[in-house]
Order: sequence, then structure tokens, then C-alpha cells
Amino acid sequence: MDIEFSQEDLDFEKEVQDFIENNLPKGMDLWTKRGEWFEALRKKGGWDVSKWPVEFGGPGFTPTQRYIFDNEMAKNSTPPQLPFGVGMLAPILMNYGSKEQQDRFLPGIRDSSVNWCQGYSEPGAGSDLANLKTKAELTEDGKHYIVNGQKIWTTLAHIAHWMFCLVRTSSTGVKQEGITFLLIPMDDPGIEVKPIITLGGSHTVNEVYITDVKVPVENRIGEEGKGWTYAKGLLIHERTGLAGIQNSVLALEKAKENASSIKVGDGTLLDVPVFKNKIGALEAELLALEFTELRSLAQVSAGGDPGPESSIMKLKGTEIQQRISELNLESSGIYAAAWGNPVGPAFAKGATSGYLGARATTIYGGASEVQKDVISKNVLGLG
Amino acid sequence: MDLSYTEEQVLLRDSVQKFVSDKYDISERNKLTATDEGFSREHWNQFAELGWLAMPFAEEDGGIGGTPVDTMVMMEEFGKGLVVEPFLATIVMAGTAISEGGNEKQRADLLPGIMDGSTIASFAYAEQQAHHDLNNIVTTAKKDGDFFLVNGTKSVVLNARSADKLIVTARTSGSEQDTDGISVFVVDADAEGISRSDYPTVDGLRASEVTFKDVKLSSDNVLGELDKGFPLVQKIANRAILALSAEAVGAMEVLYQDTIAYTKQREQFDHPLSEFQVLKHRMTEMFMEYSLAKSLCMKATMLESQDSAETQRTIHALKYLIGKSTRFVAQNAVQLHGGMGMTEELRVAHYFKRLTVIDSQFGNTDHHLTEFVA
Repeated sequence: MDIEFSQEDLDFEKEVQDFIENNLPKGMDLWTKRGEWFEALRKKGGWDVSKWPVEFGGPGFTPTQRYIFDNEMAKNSTPPQLPFGVGMLAPILMNYGSKEQQDRFLPGIRDSSVNWCQGYSEPGAGSDLANLKTKAELTEDGKHYIVNGQKIWTTLAHIAHWMFCLVRTSSTGVKQEGITFLLIPMDDPGIEVKPIITLGGSHTVNEVYITDVKVPVENRIGEEGKGWTYAKGLLIHERTGLAGIQNSVLALEKAKENASSIKVGDGTLLDVPVFKNKIGALEAELLALEFTELRSLAQVSAGGDPGPESSIMKLKGTEIQQRISELNLESSGIYAAAWGNPVGPAFAKGATSGYLGARATTIYGGASEVQKDVISKNVLGLG
Repeated sequence: MDLSYTEEQVLLRDSVQKFVSDKYDISERNKLTATDEGFSREHWNQFAELGWLAMPFAEEDGGIGGTPVDTMVMMEEFGKGLVVEPFLATIVMAGTAISEGGNEKQRADLLPGIMDGSTIASFAYAEQQAHHDLNNIVTTAKKDGDFFLVNGTKSVVLNARSADKLIVTARTSGSEQDTDGISVFVVDADAEGISRSDYPTVDGLRASEVTFKDVKLSSDNVLGELDKGFPLVQKIANRAILALSAEAVGAMEVLYQDTIAYTKQREQFDHPLSEFQVLKHRMTEMFMEYSLAKSLCMKATMLESQDSAETQRTIHALKYLIGKSTRFVAQNAVQLHGGMGMTEELRVAHYFKRLTVIDSQFGNTDHHLTEFVA
């Protein structure tokens, strides 16, 4: 057993650190010069699409390099990419799309000129996603699907150019088997997007109504009826990324800093035992979760599968994110009540909305209760 | 980074596993805990023959030169079988005191007997007024000419009734809570002035209250530097915490797996208990607690092996987490076994008791959380 990275991996870590040091725009420039940052990443050898394989222009990182890269990016709070195109649709296109589809869609995904959204959940299909009802019927000439239905919780549908979508093409047999994967342009007149304002006060998710939208069969990924299989692989991909461990490490540091700025008696909130102990408990669990991720990584690097431990990452990681948001809420004290106005300490403005918004983390990407069902079945062998 | 065991470690694990599966079903363990000493000398000699007792000691001292990772491998397997032999007291606690604190002569005098199984030893450090503070010591060792006179009482000294040697902490200067002024002595367990009151522990092991009355020691009995013994005490405690944590991880693995097996065969309301979602989720949480504790145990053990600066904090985090996770796993194992979980007949109860004791040793979960955030 050896806890240290190999010299090669350490050299790579240094290379990433140096790259960030030399290229990441500082301060407010971070927002205005995002494009230059992504351009620098691209020129570095496909670092803008760090998870893509070499044949599609990615860097072909090893699992350990990918881990190091992601960690360094998170530590330095580099501008995030929207995950839908680069992270979620691209792997499906690469694995199941035709050459024509890859050539048509991957460039726009890569240069962020085309925004994507994910059309999965429906009013009657949340955790039980396979229960989806949005219907796609093939026209008589076999050249188009006519799509009708409704999607919900569609993140950033209001700025998306395209939606990758699960639709029902057959209602006979097992419900997973009648699902097809379609790409639908959002500028079709049959698409209507209605905002949903969530309890954090933000507009991120939407309802999408689909009425008689005519989608050419060239926009179908893979075979009809196989959409569930394609999407399932992607969901696993989505979940492991949702643990957000390095972000939580940073967020916890920030939460400590926030608490240390609040005077209580002769000291600060950070000196109050009941508060301090909550921080300590979180930090200990985060250390354990961080190493759990490394255990998975070590197994993958050695050519194995990620192991049963990896199944707990999303479940535990999101719980930790929520608990950190609670610390900030508590640190903002009386100002937790103030909405919108910049009153009280600077961090307090985002604290309550952060707390409210974080409730979603244990719901999206497979609710915690569904995760527990999955682990008890697949890992523990319970029915 | 490589988190796999070496070939030697795999062999070591397999041989301990084999011993546990051959010798340690719960009725065999019950026979051992009912004996005077509470363990088997025959097993202990077998440990020596297999080289297990020499594992953590340096090659120049005649040992095998293993690391804390090797100890973790063994302790995890011991934990699965609730092994009662005094490996923790003799090898981990006293062994660390001698190998880390002893001079060349002391190591040459003491380690061979420990490694060949002929010497049982233990660590007498805890005192009633100290709660969990290692530095809180009122036992004194007063200089008297060329000698020291030791006076005081040590509590819950594991395996003291079987011990040939005791490692004792005493105050040679300073006051009750000073870290300075603590010295570590090695003393014959039957030295004049030592008396014991023996009792079984809740988990079937043996401990004693050991009283020292004018016990006469010379400077040859001092392990390490006079007055500056606290870092050695901390070292012994750290090694003990790592060993106990690995044992707890092994015990938790058995508990969550036994619970799964039991709920699959126990039927109520015309269904196996394992089909009820509330129980499935509880068992998933048990598995999560176990997995996280195992991760941190591995991390802390590897840091200790590499003498990292992060080690001390990580060990506090570990003992905190072990306390929290063992309580959750053990309590729910009993709960999900229902009335059967309350009986001595099933092994669950024995694991429950062992894990309860582990939390009380070398600082409980609250103590280490407090240290971690200090």
C-alpha cells in the first residue's frame, strides 16, 4: 500500500497547477475572459474536454490523471462547463451515435456554441424514470417521429438550442424496452418552455411542453427501443460526478471562514463548541469520503471496476453538501431571514438561498432513497 | 498510489483468516473467555510460530519489519473473529513502548521474549481522574537516591493478570495535567509493591486495577527520556487506536453481513424481513458507515506508516468516526435481529459488546471530536 501518487502523476499534478497559475483569469476577469480560458485548455491538448478519449480530440487521461485534473480545477474554482453537452450527451454520441451524428453535434458541444438540455423527467416519471409517457410515433413514410408529451425539471431548457430526450415508441412489453433516444431542436414551434421558480428563488429548471413536434429519424441515437440502455450508462456517469467532494472541501473552508467572522461573546461562532463540533464531524466524514473515492480510483486504475464503495459517493456527498449549507445558514444568524437585500455580513446574502437550493441535491440524479434501493439490491444483494 | 495489499500481506491476511475460521466460532470463544486468563496460551504460541508476534518489530531487533499496515491487516481479521489473545496489549501497546522508546539494551532484553510468545506485557496508563486525557497523570515516580519510588493506581490495565512486564506511565515532575514531566517505565509485573484487583471486561477480556506502593525502580527501567515521555505515550496511543479501529472495521463487516443474512431468513408478515424497504435502507446505511470508517482507517494507517504530519489529526478524526459508526452499526445489528439480537446465543451480542468497549479505549468518540476541532 502506498498513499502517494507516482512520480509521473505528481509531475502531471504540477503541470496542471502551473497551467492554472499561468492561464486562469484573475478576479472579475474570470467572468469576462471565460472564452480565453477554455481556448487555452483546448490548445493544451484537449483539456477543455478532459473526459473525452483521444480519438475524439480529448486528452485520453488515465483515471488517476482525470482525478488529479478534476481536483485541481475544483480547488481553484475554475469556470464550470455546462455538463449536458460535454459530459452527458457526448459520451452517448461517441458510444452509440453514427459517424454523421458525431460529426454534426460534437463540434458545437465542444465549443459551447450549442447549448443542450436533458429531457428525461416527466410529471409521472421522476425516480421511476422508465414510466415516461412522452410519445413518439413514426410517420407512415418512416422518415419522421411525431412527438407529443411533457418534460419537467428540465435544467436550462430556456437557454438550450437542443434537447436530448427519452421518448416512448412502444407501450407493449417491459416498459424499459419501449424507450427511444431522440435529439429535438428547441426552436421548433411545437416546443413551449415554462419556467419553474424553485425555493431558492432561482430559475434553473423548466417545464417543456412538446406538441406535434416532427423529428427526423436521423435524430434518433442508435436503435429504436434501446434508449433506456443508452441513458442508463449515462446516469451512472452523472451520479458519480454529483458527489462534489473537492467543492465540499472548499465550501467547508469557506463556511469556517464565515463563522470566524461572526462575533459571539469574547470569541467567534467558530469557538462555540456545538458549532465547532458540527464542523469537525463534517470534516471527518469528508476525509473518509475523499479516501473512499481514492479507493475506487485505485481499483479502476488497477483495471478493476470501481467497487461497491463507489455506490455511496452520491448519497453521502450530497448529504455533506446540504450540511455545509446549513452551517452558512446558521452563521448568518438574524440575516437568514432577509431576502434579496444585501444586509448583514456579505456571505449572508447567499446563505439562505444556498441552503434552500441545496435541498435539490438529494433529489436530482436519483433521489437518496432510490440510491439506497439500488445499493441494497446491487451491493448488498437484498431483493 | 496503490491501495492493494502486497503479496506478503495477502498471505498474512489469509493465514489469520484461516486461523479465525478454524478456531473462532462463538462457542469456542466462549470457552476461552471462561478460562482464568481469558485467552489460550496454545493460540499465543501458535501466533509466535507463525511469526505474527514479530511482525511489527524492526529486523535489527529480530523482528519481521512490518508496518502499521501489516498490523491493520491482522487486526481487521482478529476483529472478524473477536480474537481474545493479548495482541493489542502485548504487541501493539507494550511492543510499541519498547521498540519506539527502548534503548538497544532494553530492546535486546525485552523484545525476544515478546516475539517468541514467552513474555506477555501490557500498558498501564489510565487513571481514574484523567477521564480520557493521556497527559493527566498523578501516579508519581519520585527520585530516591539512585532509584525511583513509584506510587499510584492504574485503571483498566488489559491482561495485567497474565503480564510478565508492565509499561507504566508516571509523573517524575510537574503537576497533574502537564505534558512535561511524564516518564515511561518498564517494570516486572511481580515486583514488590505491585498489587492487582482483577476483573473481566464487558466483552469477555481481562483487566485489572493495578496499585503501585513504593515500587523501587532504577534508571534502567526508564523507556526513552526522563520527563519527556509524553510523545512516546502519544505514539503508543496512536498505534493502539489504529489497531482498535482496524479491529472495529472487521467486527462491523461481520455485523452488517450477519444482519443481511438474518433478515433474509427471518419471516414476518409472510415475507422475509429483507424485503421491507425500511430495513433495506437501514442496512444500506450500516454498509455506508462501515465503508467510510474503513476508508479513514486505511488512510490514517498509511499516514502513520509514512510518518506524515497529518497523522495526528487524522487519527483523532478516525477514532471519532469509529465511535460514531460502530455505535450505529452495532445498535442497528441488534435492532434488526429483534429479540434474538438481545441473546448471548447469537454472536451479534458479542460483537456489540466488543465495539462498545473499543469506543471507551484510548479516548471515546466525543473526546476525539473535541481533540480534532481543538
